[in-house]
Amino acid sequence: MGIVPLGQQQGAPHFEENRVTTVDAETYRERIWAELAKVARPDSRFHWDFGSFICDFEGSEQCSDRILELDALKQRGDRRVFITPDNCLEDLRYKLICRGISFVMTTYGIVRGFYELDVSTVPAPDRRYAATLDGFDRYAKPVSLSKLRHGEKFSLLVTGGSAVSSNGVRFGKGHGYFDFEWAVLSELGLIDQSSVVADVVHDCQFVNDVMPAERHDVAVDWVVTPTRSIHIDQTTRQRGQVYWEMIPGTEFERLGIVAELRALLKAEST
Amino acid sequence: MVISRSLDDTSALPTEPRLMEMFNVSRGTLRRAIGDLVREGLLSAEQGRGTFVNQEERVRRVVWERLKHVAIPDSRFDRDLREFVPDFFGSDEASRRVTSLNEWSAASRVFCAPDNSVEQLRYEALAAGKSILVPTYGLRRGFAHLDGAVLARSDLRHAASLDGMESYGTTLGPGDLRRFGTIELIITGATAATTDGRHIGGGQRYLALEWTMMEQLGLVSTSVPVVALLHDCQLVDEVVEADHDCLIDFIATNSRMIHVWGSSPSASNKAPLTLRRIV
Repeated sequence: MGIVPLGQQQGAPHFEENRVTTVDAETYRERIWAELAKVARPDSRFHWDFGSFICDFEGSEQCSDRILELDALKQRGDRRVFITPDNCLEDLRYKLICRGISFVMTTYGIVRGFYELDVSTVPAPDRRYAATLDGFDRYAKPVSLSKLRHGEKFSLLVTGGSAVSSNGVRFGKGHGYFDFEWAVLSELGLIDQSSVVADVVHDCQFVNDVMPAERHDVAVDWVVTPTRSIHIDQTTRQRGQVYWEMIPGTEFERLGIVAELRALLKAEST
Repeated sequence: MVISRSLDDTSALPTEPRLMEMFNVSRGTLRRAIGDLVREGLLSAEQGRGTFVNQEERVRRVVWERLKHVAIPDSRFDRDLREFVPDFFGSDEASRRVTSLNEWSAASRVFCAPDNSVEQLRYEALAAGKSILVPTYGLRRGFAHLDGAVLARSDLRHAASLDGMESYGTTLGPGDLRRFGTIELIITGATAATTDGRHIGGGQRYLALEWTMMEQLGLVSTSVPVVALLHDCQLVDEVVEADHDCLIDFIATNSRMIHVWGSSPSASNKAPLTLRRIV
């Protein structure tokens, strides 16, 4: 399984484990999207436009079974679970609902901020529906940042992604939504050293190569594919933070939670 | 000015010198403004005849402005009403008005638009054991064909949603639409509708395209009852030229049911009325 590494093409040198790459993310992305298209499931609105959404793929059901086995989930105690609105996590959401595990999720593009699904409010026949983005809207309730911060910290955060490297750096879609969600939750004091990040991807999205991380990138602790779970040591991961100077001119600028966070932090510092 | 004009005013805009005087702008500014509106689809310039207001586009803009207050955001497009037909507060009442129609009870094969406002009726149709035909969003992947009689009860909500419907039943391309059989009822949302039964969709006119396809395949005729689900604010009491034969028979809103062709529409009295689109 896995992508056909660039190095195994004829005429190209073979990959060595964990060497620092000279191949840029753009080259990988095109290659991976071509592979991904063979196993991907289209989005109900965006069709095959991978630039607009994180797709579901064949085998995501095995990924969610693996996520359910993570200690960060099984031994979370009162701590909470955060999930991104990626299509490859739909089955995971369904299984969490079936197991009575409530979770926090953002809306698509974080446009309407964070929502909380109290799974006890979902009637049993509607579980599959509530796990979709369409259905989630019907059952989940918006949660303000000030309310969010008064709850428990997060034990597990699960996201999808276009691609992930062997050192746990996600790259590809390019919007940086998850990195931003992580930063916001960190600023709210809801993330600590024991918070675990898992990235659900197809094997073809795992790149056995080291990618440089930018300061706002969240390196992940687990890469979970249909065939394996790969643990990556992130004990040196820095605390997340919002880099305010990076926001102007981006799509984050107009988000309601940006204004809310700014006001919240300002009120605190005075 | 364009937005506030009466809808049935189909005359050309005033001449350039007159407009320049009215708005106190230079010819260059005026031409740029008109050029922008033509690009946006609100105006169309016809060689030798003048510049006209695109009635459908104007109605859309008027209605979008009102609809903002009652529309429910889409899971992807949020409040960008150019991209989708939204569900609205009060659609439950509108849906109940539809399920109490005789035409609803009598139909076993129903065409349902992929509009968010129609989600509840797609569910009701499946729950009642009907077969439904639903175009995928933007017709990108053909049509989903779902049979409520064979689906498990616990799958119905999922199957009625755009996110779930393609996990059930079969997908039909335009070439195998006949396998669905003749359509006995059409249910659609709309960006707007006129009280005399014209359907105004989003700018892409998918319903018109789907109607044409189904008509050519013999799956629909003008005698098929067409039901539109709308919020009151989407109703426009004016005449707008329609460019296809998918005329609405019933308009179900949050507050009322409108029988467009009188109290008992039937094939016999509807057929000649399609001629009205020439008016």
